[in-house]
This record gives sequence, structure tokens and C-alpha cells, in this order.
Amino acid sequence: MNTQRIGAIFEKDLKEFRKNMMLLMMPVIPIFLAFMYSRMGEGELPIFLLYLIVGATYSAVTTSGMMTMMAEENEKKTLRGLIQSPASLADILIGKSLVVGLFTLVSLIISLAILGNDTFLAVQPIIGLILLFLFFLLLGIGIGLFTKSVANTSAYIMPVMFLFGFTPMIEFLNLGEDSIAIKIADYFPIMQMIDMHETNSWTAIGIVAIWVIAAAIFTFICLKKVSTDN
Amino acid sequence: MENAIQVSGLRKAFDQQVAIEDVSFHVKKGEIFGLLGPSGSGKTTTIKILTGELEQTTGDVCVLDTDASSFDSTQFKSKIGILSDNSALYERLTVYDNLKLFCKLYGAPLERIDVILDDVNLKNDRNKVVSKLSKGMKQRILLAKALVHQPDLVFLDEPTSALDPGNVIHIHRGLQKLNEAGTTIFLTTHDMEEATKLCDRVAFLDNGTIQELGNPDELRFKYSSHDFHIETTTNEKFVLGNDSKNADQIRDLIAAGKVKSIQSDKPTLGDVFLKLTGKELV
Ligand SMILES: Nc1ncnc2c1ncn2[C@@H]1O[C@H](COP(=O)(O)OP(=O)(O)O)[C@@H](O)[C@H]1O
Ligand SMILES: [Mg+2]
Repeated sequence: MNTQRIGAIFEKDLKEFRKNMMLLMMPVIPIFLAFMYSRMGEGELPIFLLYLIVGATYSAVTTSGMMTMMAEENEKKTLRGLIQSPASLADILIGKSLVVGLFTLVSLIISLAILGNDTFLAVQPIIGLILLFLFFLLLGIGIGLFTKSVANTSAYIMPVMFLFGFTPMIEFLNLGEDSIAIKIADYFPIMQMIDMHETNSWTAIGIVAIWVIAAAIFTFICLKKVSTDN
Repeated sequence: MENAIQVSGLRKAFDQQVAIEDVSFHVKKGEIFGLLGPSGSGKTTTIKILTGELEQTTGDVCVLDTDASSFDSTQFKSKIGILSDNSALYERLTVYDNLKLFCKLYGAPLERIDVILDDVNLKNDRNKVVSKLSKGMKQRILLAKALVHQPDLVFLDEPTSALDPGNVIHIHRGLQKLNEAGTTIFLTTHDMEEATKLCDRVAFLDNGTIQELGNPDELRFKYSSHDFHIETTTNEKFVLGNDSKNADQIRDLIAAGKVKSIQSDKPTLGDVFLKLTGKELV
């Protein structure tokens, strides 16, 4: 790992991100959602709606942004030039993650500011949000390593979005309280975060941390596979 | 070590076919070495093995005193420059920003950018967005990218194949200048004129094996029939062997003022390749 090289990748990807309409649209989605909600009604928004914003930000900006950037490097054959250079894969991934992280942060802060909600301004939710960010980022890296074209990314982003980004929507499927799907979904990261707000329990944070570890293992396996593909 | 590249008994087999078979050669430091062969002969595969992008099936490879197992190291990567057959640029960024990225990745001073842009004749295009440029211009930026960090050794996979003649001359001059400054150049081409003009030594590759190796001029001499082709003032053409028994006849023709032109047979590298492999180099 080398900070100068990470800085070079960061600078390059920041410039590219700003010139890529598709990527630039993504941070706007949650802000737009927040704006709609803020018009909807009086009083406090239910927690699960706040987490729809968080889920939208993380899946549309973090995961999708990372995947799109990696897919484009693969598709346009520019990744090869980076790999041939002294930059390590870690330098490349960290540089990109910083760009994605920056846009995620900006998008999330603006969205939450629009809602004027301070539910997240406490230690537990902030730790949870950081873990959640890592989870979505690692998913984006893992899938991105294999995505050969930008056109393919939407096929991958949909399941991520609906499974992990919009998990609370499962309520609207009318599956009934006892449904296995709902019981499993309760352990998904965003559901655990919602739970945490009701119970203030650290167990929820622990479960999210386990999701992060699982995502890290997934990413690690992807990395191993890509680097031995010859 | 004297040699920048040392290869022996190299073989590369893909799932279905053998791309390289028993290839051995060396490239001296400071040399311009050309790997010549028709499309599919194994040129790109050889470069990929020499730069660590592919692993050989068997054989020994040593580049800049580095064993193939260490081609992944930062130290090795910063000493070489690569122009691949399908290298690419960041199309949304400017020429300058593209080169800036690689300058920083290789730890080279940013002042190098303007020097190298001058070398590839693109000084006035430095702030243009890459997507707006012609194929030939992009190829020259890729070359600049491969050279921006002043590597000890550069690999150029068909560096001039997409360029028009005016640019080719410019690039050749740039490569010669670079070589004079001490950079070893390993290039592949199927352009025989280019090879003849630039290379100190060439290797002919066909079906993954080396058919011949040597200095271009020496090879042309080696495969010459050494015959004299004579054209007379009366437009008669005939061929005489380079033989003492023909000396009087040639002398008499010249003495009688009957010779319009006299040339010794000197095949082009393309002719030599055709002779060796029965293939045209395209
Ligand atoms: N990744 C690969 N998988 C299978 N076969 C390959 C691969 N790369 C190259 N080849 C084969 O190896 C041979 C040499 O290819 P290449 O080195 O690209 O030739 P050149 O650069 O001289 O045109 C060709 O027959 C090609 O089809
Ligand atoms: Mg080739």
C-alpha cells in the first residue's frame, strides 16, 4: 500500500466520477427520495423510512458506484494499465473506495439534512452506519471485480438493492408474520439497524458486523479468484 | 548483467493450443530488439510473459536481473514501460490528466509530462479530452504513457500499426532518441521496413518458434543469392553470379559504357521471412 499511489487513483477517479453522468445521477436518487418524504407529512418520519433512504444511498451510490467504476475499468481495458503500473490492487481499490465513500457521505448528509432528522446523531447509529457502509462497499468491490461491462452492472445491482437496500419493503409483500422469508429478512443488516433503534441493543450492531465479515470473505474470495484467473 | 532479457526454452500452452514452443533468445542492454512475425505467431504472448501478465508453461525468463516470480514487485514494474496491443486511456479525461495519473503511479516528476508530449508531437493537445482525439493521436499518448517514467526497458507491442506514415517517422525518431539515452527497447511488428530501420537485432517468429535471429543487414546478406542484376543501356536485363569467372564480362560491360545499372541481390527482411517460412508478413 502506498499513499501517493492511492492519492493518484483517488484524484483520477474523482475527476472521472464528476464527468460520468450515470455515476453522478446516483447520489441524486436518495436526495430526491428525501425531498419527497419531507413533503409527505407532518411530524417524525418512521425509522424504517429513514432506513429506506440509507439503503437507497448505500446500494445506489456505494455498491453501484463501486461496481460501475470497476466494470468500466474492465470494459475499457484501462484496468490493465493500472495493474501493469507499480500500483497494487489494494491501492486501486482503496483509491476508488475513497471516491465512493466521499459521494456516499455527501449524498447521505444532504438527504438526512433535508429530512431535518437527528436520529442518527448518536454513537450506536453512527457505528452501525459505518459498518453498513463497509458491507455495501465490500459487496460492490467483490461483484465489481467480475463485472466485465457497465451494461451488466444493472443485473447485479437489482438483487443487492432489493435484498439489502430495501429490505424493509418486505412488509408490503403481505407475507404474514410467520413467513420464513420475513424471519430471515429480520436478520438482514438494515433490519437489524432498525431493531437497534427500538432496543438500543449492541447485539444488532454485532449482527451487522458479522454481515461485514461475511462480505469481506466474499470479497476476498473474489480477489483470489481474479488474481489466479490466467 | 549484460543482458536486459534472457529467455530459454520458453513454452506457453493454452487450453487448446500451444502459442510458444522452445523459444530462446536474449536482448542486450541498450539494444533495440524486434520480434517479427505474422499475426497469431505468438508475439503478444511472448510480451505478456516477459512483463508478468501471463505465466509461462515451462522455460526460464529473466528480465532486468529479475526472475519471473518477482515480476509482480513494485521495483520491477517501475523499471519497465509497456505499450500493449490493446492498451487504453481514460476517455473522459484530458491528455494531461491521463499522463499525470501514470506519472504519479510511477513516482516520476510531473515535469516529464511536457517533455514526453513534445517527443510524441502532442504538445499542443495536452488539454484536450482524449475521446475527441484520432486513433493515431491516442496511440501516441499510449506511447507517451509507456515512456513517461523513463523506464530502463520498454515493451512495445506493434507501436506503429495504427499510425499514418508521417507519425510513424516521428515516433521512430523519438524511439531512436530514447534508445540513445540508454533505454532498451523490445518491440514487435510486422512492418519489415520498421524493423530494418530501427532494430539492432530481430527474431523471426512463426507458429510460436523462432526461425532466425540476427542483425537485419546481416540476415539480408546471409539470405542473398549474391548475384548481380545488370541492366544495359539497351535495356537488356540479366543476372550474373558473384563469381570470379564473371569478372571479365562485367568489367568489359562497364569499360564499353554499356551498363545502365548494376545491383547486387539484397532481399528485404520480408523476402527473407518468405524464404524461411513461405509466408508473407502481414
Ligand atoms: N488467452 C488465450 N487463450 C487461448 N489462446 C490464446 C490466448 N492468447 C493467445 N492465444 C493463441 O496463441 C497464439 C499466439 O497469439 P498472439 O501471441 O496474440 O500472436 P500475435 O501477437 O503474434 O498476433 C494464437 O494462435 C492465439 O490464438
Ligand atoms: Mg499481437
